[in-house]
Amino acid sequence: MRIYIIFAIMVLAGCKKSFLNLTPISNSNANNFFRTRADFDLAVNNAYSTLHTMYNPQGMISYCGELLSDNATIYTVAGTGSVNANDKYAFRDYSITATNNQVNQFWNEAWTSLYHVNIVIDKIQDADLDAGYKTGVIAEMRFLRALYYYAMVQLWGDLPLITKPIPAGEAFAIGRSPQAEVYQLIVDDLKEAAANLPAPDRVAAPGRASKGAAKTLLGKVYLAMGDKIAAAQVLMEVYNDYGGKQYDLLPHYGSLWGPENSKKNTKESIFEIQYKGGANNPFSSYWPAFAPFENFSITRFGGGINQVTDDLYNEYEPGDVRRDTSFELGYYKGATWIATKFQKKWKDLDAPIVSGVEACNNNFIVLRYADLLLLLTEATGDAQYMNRVRARVGLPLYGTPGYPSVKYPTLELALEHERRVELAMEFHRWFDLKRTNRALTVLAAKGKPINQDRLLLPIPQIATDQNKNLGQNNGY
Amino acid sequence: MRFNLIKSGAFIALSLLSMAVTAQQKTSVVKGLVQNNNNMPLQGVSVVIRNTTNNFTSGTSSDSSGVFTFSRIPSGGPYSFTFSMVGYESQTLTGYQIKDDVTLSLIVNLKALPGSLDQVVVVGYGSQRKKAVTGSVVSVGFDQFKDRSFANVAQSIEGTVAGVNIITTQGAPGFGPTIRVRGINSITAGTNPLFVVDGMAMENFDLNIINPQDIQSIEILKDAASAAIYGSRGANGVILITTKLGKPGKPQMNLTYEHGLQKVVRRVKLMDAQEWIRYYIDARNNAWVASGPGRSASDPNSVRGNNKNYLIPEEFITDPGKFGKGTDWQDVMFRTAQSKNMQVSISGGTDKAQYLFSAGYLDQDAVLIDNFYKRLSLRTNIRQKILDNLTAGLNISFTGVHNRTDGVEGKSDVISLGLQNDPIFPVYNENGNLGFLDPNSEWNRFASFGVQLWHPYSLIKYADKLNKFYNTIAGGYVEYKPIHDITFRSSINAVLTQRNYNWFWRTNAGYGYSSLLPAEGRYQTYSNLNWLTENSLSYDKQFGDHSIGALVAYTAQKQRGDTSQQRSTNYPNDLVQTLNAAGTPILSTTTAGEWSVLSWLSRISYSYKDRYFINGTIRRDGSSRFGETTRWGYFPSLSAGWLISDEAFMQNVSFINNLKLRVSYGVTGNNQIPNYGPISLLEGSKYVYSDNVANGIRVATIPNPHLKWEKTNQFNVGVDLALFNNRLNVTAEVYNSITRDLLLNVPIPILTGFATQLTNIGKIRNRGLELSLSSKNLVQPEFRWTTDFNISFNKNKVLQLGPNNAPVIVEEWGSRFVTAVGEPISNYEGYIFDGVYNNQNDIDKGPKYPAGMVITPGDPRVRDVDGNGIIDANDRTTLGNAQPDFMAGLTNTFTYKNLELSFMLHGVFGNEIVNQQTRYNKFWNDSRNAYAAINNYWRSEQEPGDGRTFKPNAEYKGMQTQFSSYWVEDGSFVRIRNIRLSYTIPQHLASKTPFRNLRVYVNAENVHVFSNYLGFDPENSMYSTGTDAATANTTFPPGLMVGADYGSYPIPLTVTFGVKLDL
Repeated sequence: MRIYIIFAIMVLAGCKKSFLNLTPISNSNANNFFRTRADFDLAVNNAYSTLHTMYNPQGMISYCGELLSDNATIYTVAGTGSVNANDKYAFRDYSITATNNQVNQFWNEAWTSLYHVNIVIDKIQDADLDAGYKTGVIAEMRFLRALYYYAMVQLWGDLPLITKPIPAGEAFAIGRSPQAEVYQLIVDDLKEAAANLPAPDRVAAPGRASKGAAKTLLGKVYLAMGDKIAAAQVLMEVYNDYGGKQYDLLPHYGSLWGPENSKKNTKESIFEIQYKGGANNPFSSYWPAFAPFENFSITRFGGGINQVTDDLYNEYEPGDVRRDTSFELGYYKGATWIATKFQKKWKDLDAPIVSGVEACNNNFIVLRYADLLLLLTEATGDAQYMNRVRARVGLPLYGTPGYPSVKYPTLELALEHERRVELAMEFHRWFDLKRTNRALTVLAAKGKPINQDRLLLPIPQIATDQNKNLGQNNGY
Repeated sequence: MRFNLIKSGAFIALSLLSMAVTAQQKTSVVKGLVQNNNNMPLQGVSVVIRNTTNNFTSGTSSDSSGVFTFSRIPSGGPYSFTFSMVGYESQTLTGYQIKDDVTLSLIVNLKALPGSLDQVVVVGYGSQRKKAVTGSVVSVGFDQFKDRSFANVAQSIEGTVAGVNIITTQGAPGFGPTIRVRGINSITAGTNPLFVVDGMAMENFDLNIINPQDIQSIEILKDAASAAIYGSRGANGVILITTKLGKPGKPQMNLTYEHGLQKVVRRVKLMDAQEWIRYYIDARNNAWVASGPGRSASDPNSVRGNNKNYLIPEEFITDPGKFGKGTDWQDVMFRTAQSKNMQVSISGGTDKAQYLFSAGYLDQDAVLIDNFYKRLSLRTNIRQKILDNLTAGLNISFTGVHNRTDGVEGKSDVISLGLQNDPIFPVYNENGNLGFLDPNSEWNRFASFGVQLWHPYSLIKYADKLNKFYNTIAGGYVEYKPIHDITFRSSINAVLTQRNYNWFWRTNAGYGYSSLLPAEGRYQTYSNLNWLTENSLSYDKQFGDHSIGALVAYTAQKQRGDTSQQRSTNYPNDLVQTLNAAGTPILSTTTAGEWSVLSWLSRISYSYKDRYFINGTIRRDGSSRFGETTRWGYFPSLSAGWLISDEAFMQNVSFINNLKLRVSYGVTGNNQIPNYGPISLLEGSKYVYSDNVANGIRVATIPNPHLKWEKTNQFNVGVDLALFNNRLNVTAEVYNSITRDLLLNVPIPILTGFATQLTNIGKIRNRGLELSLSSKNLVQPEFRWTTDFNISFNKNKVLQLGPNNAPVIVEEWGSRFVTAVGEPISNYEGYIFDGVYNNQNDIDKGPKYPAGMVITPGDPRVRDVDGNGIIDANDRTTLGNAQPDFMAGLTNTFTYKNLELSFMLHGVFGNEIVNQQTRYNKFWNDSRNAYAAINNYWRSEQEPGDGRTFKPNAEYKGMQTQFSSYWVEDGSFVRIRNIRLSYTIPQHLASKTPFRNLRVYVNAENVHVFSNYLGFDPENSMYSTGTDAATANTTFPPGLMVGADYGSYPIPLTVTFGVKLDL
């Protein structure tokens, strides 16, 4: 009979409801997250970390900003993940198709990043937290959302408007909204962000979005929308409120670049992506990615991405120190000199090597004061702002006799030239050409097989297969 | 005679045994012969002698000649003898008196039971007479695999069981095959059957843990009605393993020694150095010429700029001959490998207690250099009757494996890479280093040209790896019969698994890898404890013509797995490899995961006149892996059998010995998903503020709180037929199964922030037909010939999928797998490759290609499937599928006197393989080597090659790399799987040795494959991705990407010589 008792005990013991209620041991879970301020601090940090994806040297802003333009090329590259080398060559060659895996990866990265921003905005609405804190978090998130949507709208044109996490059912059917509506969302986000973000010197930590960053981006967006008056107004606010105070040009162009902490978050920086070198840290990899492919000499491996074209190299005026600050002409392999031009703005020769790649300390500047000055000239038609940029590097000012006005006869062309050399390899060139409607003219003249349709990327085939309502861009 | 030899002291083991035999004053010898009605000797018949006055008992069993001997039987009597064996009617002879020193001789004929229907078959939670089985259960006994030399018993039954597809996906020693019972029932949840070893249920079990020598029988529950007793885990079929236990009688000792040789016979044919240099030159010239107008193949490097794709080493043109044929990297990688396998087992017992002790040691070298697999397996099985109504037992097994296995991880592992190496490089350079990256080597001159070398030595000899795996399975039980007909059984089982893995990559790996990497050390562990307790009550009763059986049981099972992983770099040198010597840790992490299942189950069986059978089962399972409100599920089944041949009206049909009809219907489930599916998991991320790393947290999985089982309903009809004096046995079955609420990792639009979501959605159907034939063609006493044949057909169709029935698309490394409604799971989809454009006129006449895609003569031609004159994504179409139309196995066994010869053919027909190695070896890819068949590529309009191979181009811009039928190959094959020859030393010779029985054999596995497949083997074409997070070692091949071969490990030819001794 004792056995029956044991049996009964085993049954009763096993029947405990908790036997089947197992919660994850090695992951926290979302059921009890998004409640406290500490939770939201972590979620906000994560939202910022998506900048590392969006501005990755192998990311969409890098590829489109430089590789689609006349600044950069690739000679030999390797595939990464599901992306093969040809998917990358297609950017250089303007032979991108809807089945290009690199395009699909960019599309995925953009929407995933956007989700991590949107979920914070969505979850904090109902959280029982201090209203001021909530407003501040929402403003930061809307800045990031605008930054991402602005890149995406330039790459794909019409886009689904996603402002909160959506269930799968909805995602299978949602269509694309016209570009104008996307731009309206960006403007709304940036206005809201500008109204609620702190002044540049009041941000919680360097790297957090500020009023200055939101307004500078808004100015640029207005320019892209063709509204120079609105652009001038908002850019002038930044210039007047912070110029010469929180923001200024550094005395030397070279002081902008380097892995040292002293080169990070300077006065010239308006919005800057933060990295920290070394193993187990969120390090940057611009240097190894942009180093010549498999050089096995200056870097452990070398990604071969965004190699500098002769066309860009020759764009510099004689005596422009920015050229030699920005580029290397080649490297030594043993005793052999290998001549090939590549960038050195993010050079970090002391970076520790982690899993075969340099774990660099360099930050990446998204918006800087020189950019703002050049945008001001673009918006106002007044060359004085641009001339401050030229003055820093000791070049003849526009409108003075020494200026190479034969080569750059109009202010527009002068500005195009100035942006190209000042902001070289900082992911601006192709976006600049698009914004100023110069992409077709300039790139076709340099032999790129470009037409109006090629100014947009295709919607990835896998996305249109899932959701026919997305439609496809012309020519794909 | 035998004892004379023992006295000579030659065999210590036997002497020890003989000590157990205590001397009696007056004894005598009983000898006998047991044979069947055709006077053929019967082996393994249990013989029990009993003195009916003083209850002296002793037992033994007959040897291969049917002979049994009792050597020291006390004089007196009367004695009785009982003879019993499965499949035969028991017989008792009574009334024998034994006289002093007079040998008693007996000859007994046992009558075979019709169709062996009284044979007992293990089913879930009990056993049944074969006669009463109403579901679809296949039983494989030890005799059917005893001489096969595999470490994993599943490989021994590959091709022999209809409806069970066992696939050797990788030929490495110790690498378990994939098992699919009746097609693929799931798309993204696991498709492995449930394994139950002596009652212990295990998911994703590695059968290598069980020494085949210890296995008594394997039962495969194929239909849902049989598997439903395992409820939520039965949908992929259930494999029951029962280990051996001694028989009452004299101790039996078995010794086995095997020596094996393995060799990769079916090599991949690749270009030699001369062919490759021509290929290289053409690829680069083609790229240069295509890169702009006015460029010619004769332009020197000096005008070609610094793009590696255009540059050709001068010496390739001026003096290619000096490279000779170059290195065949398969010669470097592979060797003829030896293996040794030693087994010993002792078993025996009395009526009250039985035991088995066994030990086995396998020491196997792999065909891949420096790789090995060593396994020690120990087992103790004991069963003791404590009281008349109380029995207890304990089975304990320990398996320890030390192995090193490279090459099974596909594309970036040594076997795939070995096929990509350029043949021009020597095994060692002039400095004794491996590769051209050695800066001081003359071969370094090639570094700037873009050449490829992943030297096998750099991956093996310069990387030290050791895997240590220890597994203990222990299970104890008590059986108590409080009253007659009722049995209470309680058991507790536990499986403890421990794995340690050391990895050390030496600095720069001898310059033989594609890049120079610093030394790195890794250390990984996992430990896993799984326990199961089961308590059951069963009742069996016969009332006249009625027979009733009933079972109720309650079970609880839980598993916890812990993993750790550490990686460090910055070693001062390569001398100390443990992580304490490293300067910089780069990864240090531990994880843990758990799951639990609670179940109630019940079975009722009823039979009338031993002619009409009905079985009903139901199981209720609750699993931690599912949502709180959806985790409990019911799994019922009902089955019936009718033994038509026992009906009165059949008694005149003399050629039919047995005819039985079986019908069953049941519901089973599948729970093989990650542990915490319904919960949205979070994971860490990092950002930086003010040079301080700031932690972030992100949502990592999209939750589904309503997640529940995947359910399979299966209907099965089977017929068992025995004809012509049981000479011909036929089993035919048809089934139809529908799987609903698929646990589908549905690809969802990334607009949600996620690429996939685990959802219960969709339906699949599997329909099939299975036929097994077993024929005794010749039954002469001296010469016998039997033939076993099986064939099975399965058709798989997706009936419903996720939202909008959107197809599930997986794209991986160029290839594309589409699962769509109305089609089988995972069709390959791509362009149809139609050969090569021979000239511009060909191109102009054909369809237009996408903007920016320049097509030139020599480029691939793809078909404009939709006929709209434009090649675009809509022209992609179905190119094939991994699921065969049918599979068949044929075994013939010839026995002449003591000689037995058997050979087995196995064929799989109508499936296609995506040869993923196409990416590397079938078109130009970054200077890798290529298949020798590619030599026939298009060179010019005048030299168009075979018309099926496009020109190489170092900068392809056209369709060269697009997934097309160029990648898809016929997967059908016929394999001579096994040839076996064994010889039993005749009794009159054996009796001069200390051994009762002595057998020698030679066994050849994987003798030849008939196939045109370009890779190593058409069978190892399964791409396994992902690991079960809980155990970190078990591969979970998803249903979605079956059929892709990404550089698998070849299956070697294995020849084994063995000797088996019984004493």
